[in-house]
Amino acid sequence: MLEVKSVTKTYGEGTTKVVALDNVSLQAAKGDFIAIMGPSGSGKSTLLNIIGGLDYPTEGEVVLDGTRIDNLDENALVEIRRGGIAYVFQQYHLLSSLTALENVLLPLIFRGVNTGEAKALDILRRVGLGRRAEHKPGQLSGGEQQRVAIARALVNDPSLILADEPTGNMDQKTGMEILELFRQLNRDGHSIIMVTHNAEIAKHAGQTIVLQDGQIVHTS
Amino acid sequence: MSYAVLGVVIGTMTVIGILTVALAGESRIYAQLEDYGANLVVIPAISQVDLELGGLGLGALIVGENYIPEDKVSQVRQIADDMVNQVLGIEDERYRYTVSVAPKLYANSRVGEVSVMVVGIDPEEEMKIKTWWRIQEGEPLEQADQALIGARASELLELSVDDKIVLNGVSVTVAGILEETGSNDDYQVFVQIETAQEAFDKEGVVSSIDVRALCAACPVEEIADEINMMIPGVRAVAVRQIAMTEMGMMERVNRFMLALAGITLAVGLFGVVNTMMTSVHERIRDIGIMRAVGASRNQIVKVFIYEAIIVGILGGIFGYVAGTLLAYAVGPLIFEGVAVSYVPQYFPLSLILAVLVAAIATLYPAFRATRIRVADSLRSL
Repeated sequence: MLEVKSVTKTYGEGTTKVVALDNVSLQAAKGDFIAIMGPSGSGKSTLLNIIGGLDYPTEGEVVLDGTRIDNLDENALVEIRRGGIAYVFQQYHLLSSLTALENVLLPLIFRGVNTGEAKALDILRRVGLGRRAEHKPGQLSGGEQQRVAIARALVNDPSLILADEPTGNMDQKTGMEILELFRQLNRDGHSIIMVTHNAEIAKHAGQTIVLQDGQIVHTS
Repeated sequence: MSYAVLGVVIGTMTVIGILTVALAGESRIYAQLEDYGANLVVIPAISQVDLELGGLGLGALIVGENYIPEDKVSQVRQIADDMVNQVLGIEDERYRYTVSVAPKLYANSRVGEVSVMVVGIDPEEEMKIKTWWRIQEGEPLEQADQALIGARASELLELSVDDKIVLNGVSVTVAGILEETGSNDDYQVFVQIETAQEAFDKEGVVSSIDVRALCAACPVEEIADEINMMIPGVRAVAVRQIAMTEMGMMERVNRFMLALAGITLAVGLFGVVNTMMTSVHERIRDIGIMRAVGASRNQIVKVFIYEAIIVGILGGIFGYVAGTLLAYAVGPLIFEGVAVSYVPQYFPLSLILAVLVAAIATLYPAFRATRIRVADSLRSL
């Protein structure tokens, strides 16, 4: 369902030119759980951003469900973010002025769906936050905030979930709980691509790709 | 956000304040115009009669031997009425603007040993022109055998209401005494024009005709020209110059103040743009989040426009109140003795102005913020 073909990404020009990704290719089938590993600056987050249409590749193609998405204009990308792809970030990226429930409802509101409250509550319960729906992010722990972010990613029933170091800000125990939640989602049929530098976490993924200096050095 | 509201408030406050003061100043000038009474005087073509313009006494009154035939009064009225209504574009008889035309007959006479000026008037028309006339005692002039007496004349002649006086052999009763006006009127005795004509043997003639056509668009000079051309033997003089000068001055002051208001509004707009820039910039990460979860650029811009409308409405309300208060405080310093009053019609104007300023100030930064790549906006902060 996802195909990354020879993607290269460079920043700057001339002597200040930095190669973030160098001719990277990978494939993911429906239901896959792929971990992308590598040290800081290896290009993992750049790859994830390009897969999700948050950033554009300098060269190469990204194909999602048979459609090229690397060269789409903003309006077409909006459509993909509303259904095809959802994100979970290391810093959670919740809107601090909204409650957990409102944060989960946000994608539905932007899609023009105004009747999603029961669904949003249901998803919050699924991630174990049924009783925290009216709390604002500031009143939640890191693990709880990430659960809200995951619930927000699920509300549009995406075919692919992209997670950028989702456990990076957590202690070992909380991190494993979040990881378990991802594995549960994967068992429920969601495709997941997760960036992490934690080998312990990567072990639980179905497939691991190791990046170094913008190139894939190992696949398992 | 509160800084943005403040910026909008300052801008609209200045505009509303200046407009309110300007309106008050204008109505004061119109009020002063009222005091000029007549703004067109028709006199015999070769007479020596000095002009007396309503309340403004311009030197002594000398009555020559020349008079205007009485039938010219209706001609003067016809010309003035037609021209005014033509300029105002009024065709329907019911809504015609009525020009006041007051003929007068002056005669020197004696009451006992005292010499007085007797003036024959059309009481109804005269009262319309001399809006400042107040009767301090008695009744207005209604009957042919009655007289109305100026305040000083009543003292000099030691007359009070219901006393009888004889004017050149004709006996009249004092109906009322005028309040002091500070003009020649105070020394005069007023009777109906027919009474004066009979008493002084001047049937069918008048000394002068005062015309009051007091609207902003009234073509007083043109009316004067028309009368001079159409009616031989009379001279019509427009006395609008004083008023015109003052109105012209007012207009210039108004224009200057509006320019000032415009500049203030522009400066205010700049301030609001600045605060909105900051406000948008602070939320670049939020914008990135919203876009990552499926918000389109238009939806983001809309969010900020809604905010701008709220800022505008708040700014408009406070701007109107502050502007009106400013006008109350500053108005009397600009126009001495001006009565500033709040202008309800400026409230919607204030709202529209404020919302526009806020929306314009927000649109650009919001639009620019949505051009940033999502990955970059998420990386900020």
